[in-house]
Amino acid sequence: MTAANTPRAGRRGGVLPPLRGVALGVLSVWAIFVLFLLWVFGGASTRFVPSLAEVAEALPGFVTDPETWADIGITFRRVVGSLFAAAVLGLGAAYLIYQQGFAGQVVSVYVRLALGLPSTIAALLALFIFRRSPIGVYLVVTVITFPFIVLTLLGGMQAADRRLDEMSRVYRFGTRRHLRHVTVPHLVPYTFSAIRNENAHAWRVVVLAEVFAVSNGMGARFSRAFDRFILVDVLLWLFAFMTIMLATEYLILRPLERSALRWRRPSSTQAAEREATR
Amino acid sequence: MTDPFIEVKELSVFYDGTTPAIRRVDLTVDEGEFVAILGPSGCGKSTLLHVLGGLLEPSGGIAEIQGRRLGGSVTGLPPIGYVFQDHRLLPWRTVAQNLEIVLAAAGIPKEEWETRIDRYLKMLQIDRFRSVWPMRMSGGQRQRASIARALAIDPAVVLMDEPFSTLDEVTARTLRQELLEVWGQSRRTVLFVTHSIREALFLADRILVLTRGPAEVLTEVTVDISRPRIYEDPRLTEREAALVDLVMEPWEHTAASGEAP
Repeated sequence: MTAANTPRAGRRGGVLPPLRGVALGVLSVWAIFVLFLLWVFGGASTRFVPSLAEVAEALPGFVTDPETWADIGITFRRVVGSLFAAAVLGLGAAYLIYQQGFAGQVVSVYVRLALGLPSTIAALLALFIFRRSPIGVYLVVTVITFPFIVLTLLGGMQAADRRLDEMSRVYRFGTRRHLRHVTVPHLVPYTFSAIRNENAHAWRVVVLAEVFAVSNGMGARFSRAFDRFILVDVLLWLFAFMTIMLATEYLILRPLERSALRWRRPSSTQAAEREATR
Repeated sequence: MTDPFIEVKELSVFYDGTTPAIRRVDLTVDEGEFVAILGPSGCGKSTLLHVLGGLLEPSGGIAEIQGRRLGGSVTGLPPIGYVFQDHRLLPWRTVAQNLEIVLAAAGIPKEEWETRIDRYLKMLQIDRFRSVWPMRMSGGQRQRASIARALAIDPAVVLMDEPFSTLDEVTARTLRQELLEVWGQSRRTVLFVTHSIREALFLADRILVLTRGPAEVLTEVTVDISRPRIYEDPRLTEREAALVDLVMEPWEHTAASGEAP
């Protein structure tokens, strides 16, 4: 049934070959190893990047510094808050566009505008309008991620299974029961897909906005380290950024998604039993 | 003489207000009867079932179940069980939850849910799948769950729209046999749409044969073969041949009919 179909792959990485299980693990370790080799070689033979030993030496101090965690916490809150706002607004906008009324047409114009707005321009505009207020950062991340969430959720609404709607009418579900048991569960995979894609997007945009607009958060720390040419700090913040982004994706969002969509995967024992009792 | 349980008089349905799907169809069904509606693919037989299920409003004529007129609001109409061509179970709910949701929607008291779910899942021999998601079951098991869902709400009538047409022949035969056993136990009124002459003869007390679309009633056939029936019964083969002869010309597609092949 279409209702059980996976939403289309996100716009990022959708054309990359799928990697699973052992292949993914081996290739990931290999890719990281190659990067470290390049770093060791580059650090030892040039002065462009600090050596591995220098960064390793600074790492304990970086990790145990309460300010590090305070800035990570600030950026984390900004990403979560902005994504939440973008998801709520995106759901409302997608619904209005789906209804094909006048309001939907108006909203779709704003979505198109937001789609064409580069993150850097948005961050500069926020700096001009909100000066150095954190509201500007929230707004930039929300505005940049919102249209992509709209597109994914709109795709979900348009892919709604009309056959389940008929079933719901025959059995007289009524509006509330229909929403709870048909509409919302159908949109769950699309919501996860939108949030996962836009989480990565939001982390990149938030750092950019923080570089321009505010004096705290990971972006501001990046900017400070760069201005003072403290390359060890730049690298440490880069690692922190990558670790948090990947951990959010692989330790929080994907397990949550797998758990919420576990009805899709046949277990081996059930598949065997099913075959035995067709 | 008592009023018929289901009465359809001169029922017409037009799509887009102009394209006829069914035209002036008459049908009466008594309580507890098993009636098949037989017609070629695309003739509009499912449309008739859609009207009886409250999914479509008649463009002309009337359709009544237990004296209640169909069309417009479903409030006050008797409960209807519907088995579609595909199972239409909610894939994100387990089999038991799928039944619970329709039981709640039908206003069945919660205390009765367990008993009913147990009874119908056992009747359809899928009680061990009660906590399983539909995507983890075979096509036949899902269709069994769909039949259990239709029966669990104590429907006035069970409407079945080619429910076995997507299954392999062996599974379909088993399910036809089981459907008759379940019908024997529950004695619900069943309206069964099919394009298979053999299936209609095997299952039904009476067959309403429709023409090519837009459907009109071609003839009505009473199946006077005692139950339990056997699918390979030579009497069924004999009647099947007679019915094929009868419908061969009216069902055959001709360029003059203007119907899509």
